[in-house]
Amino acid sequence: MGLDLSVQIGKIRLKNPVLVASGTFGHGKEFEPFFDLKKLGGIVTKTITLKPRLGNPPPRIIETPSGMLNAIGLQNPGVEKFIEEKMPYFRKLGIPIIVSAMGYSVGEFVQVIQMLDKAEGIDGYELNLSCPNVPYSSKTEALTLVKMFAHDERMIEEVVSAVRQVTDKTLIAKLGPDVSDVPKMALAAERAGADVVSLINTFIAMVIDVKTRKPVLANKTGGLSGPCIRPIAVRMVWEVAQRVRIPILGMGGIMDAKHALEFLIAGASAVQVGTANFMNPEASLDVLSGIEDFMKKEKISSMKEIIRSVKSK
Amino acid sequence: MPCRTIWNASKRPSLPMYKETCEVLENRPVAPGHFLLKLGSKKIGPSAQPGQFVQILCSGASLDPLLPRPFSFLETNPGSFSILYQVVGQGTRLMEKFKKGDKLPLIGPLGHGFTLRQVTSDQRPATRLLVGGGVGIPPLYHLAKTWVKTKAIKKANIHVFLGARNKALLLCERDFLKIGVHLHLATNDGSKGIKGYVTQVLTKFLKSLVASHSSLVCACGPTSMLKAVSLIASEFGVPCETSVEVPMACGFGACLGCAIKVKGDTPGSYRFAIACTEGPVFEGSKVLWD
Repeated sequence: MGLDLSVQIGKIRLKNPVLVASGTFGHGKEFEPFFDLKKLGGIVTKTITLKPRLGNPPPRIIETPSGMLNAIGLQNPGVEKFIEEKMPYFRKLGIPIIVSAMGYSVGEFVQVIQMLDKAEGIDGYELNLSCPNVPYSSKTEALTLVKMFAHDERMIEEVVSAVRQVTDKTLIAKLGPDVSDVPKMALAAERAGADVVSLINTFIAMVIDVKTRKPVLANKTGGLSGPCIRPIAVRMVWEVAQRVRIPILGMGGIMDAKHALEFLIAGASAVQVGTANFMNPEASLDVLSGIEDFMKKEKISSMKEIIRSVKSK
Repeated sequence: MPCRTIWNASKRPSLPMYKETCEVLENRPVAPGHFLLKLGSKKIGPSAQPGQFVQILCSGASLDPLLPRPFSFLETNPGSFSILYQVVGQGTRLMEKFKKGDKLPLIGPLGHGFTLRQVTSDQRPATRLLVGGGVGIPPLYHLAKTWVKTKAIKKANIHVFLGARNKALLLCERDFLKIGVHLHLATNDGSKGIKGYVTQVLTKFLKSLVASHSSLVCACGPTSMLKAVSLIASEFGVPCETSVEVPMACGFGACLGCAIKVKGDTPGSYRFAIACTEGPVFEGSKVLWD
């Protein structure tokens, strides 16, 4: 029995539902010594901004029970250098490449996407509306009240529809979990023309050194990721799946195939493996082969039989 | 944060690295709170360079603690390598319990180590000053042994400066003696060597060092020691390589967590270098020690 692991997200056909999450996979090449990247369903790149960013001062990471906090601060070479230096490698892999992009205003978001749109080999964009580790300017238009785009449905709608007007490629809105009503935010993205929603980004969190009484991270707060956030992420995917029609990319603490299957059953069309890449560079491949094993064992031949298959009783 | 300098990718070449399941051959105490762990390895050990490191996932399948722990090499042999670790937290407390035959998932060798060869255009005899404190000492032993074995540097021209709280914590002292290099010791309590800091011994030695030698200082230890050593070296006009220790997640450049502030390309500028790939060994004069 042939297994069909392919799934559709927006205009992109993925040969399997396992992608790697933004910010956890470097620029791809870092993983080349460990496995054949062509086996992945796709890659979501480290977030790219208009201008190069140095990132936050150290310490940038701290381990927590079953998780970690990071406050990298979007260290990246900027969109021009990214296209020139990083895209050639991605292009030759021949798998879907989704570029994570971020702007400090609606205008900057549009500018980054317009520049990326001229480059070859990009299949879609994941709009990082929810990075917890960069300051959000209060000077740029309409941004005075919100901390990040993902915290305000009006802002989500505004930025997604602005970007929608400048690209035909698959548009994915990456949402943050620090809101009271995630489905409302997902609906805003859907209304504005997003093809897909990605959830969830990290939780804004803090660790304090009791001796110095200072936050451990130089940025004071960081994004919490890893197995500790998984049950919340699964719940959020499940909630959003009941409200939106567009596909969902599920992520949050996926360490193995069982975890990935939870997200798929809850309503995700594909998953992203993130923090697990740090302790096991082959984690994404292990997740993929585990899904195949599950399908064989359960005598399932297509992903359709798994996605959104959660039972109420 | 405003961007003050142009982002600069590491220009160092990438070296081979592997994921390997290694078997514990030995795990024994060597000093109070310190253990030597010897692992069977066909890939990581033979390709490891002094100053590079290996990531050990202490927790195995339990994933608690979540992140792997980085350790520099103490010794490498065909078919095995060893590390020397101090029990300080949750991860190393688990490592203390490793038994012969246990299998561990590892990745390595990672990062870029110390400069092994001297500049060929420099005709002066090469002298090496290795300055170590605490668990910063093991990679310096690996370095000294590599030089002695390959005869790249004459034994008589290798000077090792070790510092510790007391004589029991002067790690690898006997090993250094065995390979026949010069030892200069300092302990805080004066139980061996001079009473005080290793930096005092180094300063005294540098004062007497003849300029006809082409010297290089290689240091590994606590950040405060690295900063002091780097300053002393530059005072005497001697180049200095420091192996830094920073909190790390992946160890191979994927997470960008292990940033260290270094001088940028233009005067007065800075950038954040990623310690696991660009380092962990950096030119001391390039690091902006806070």
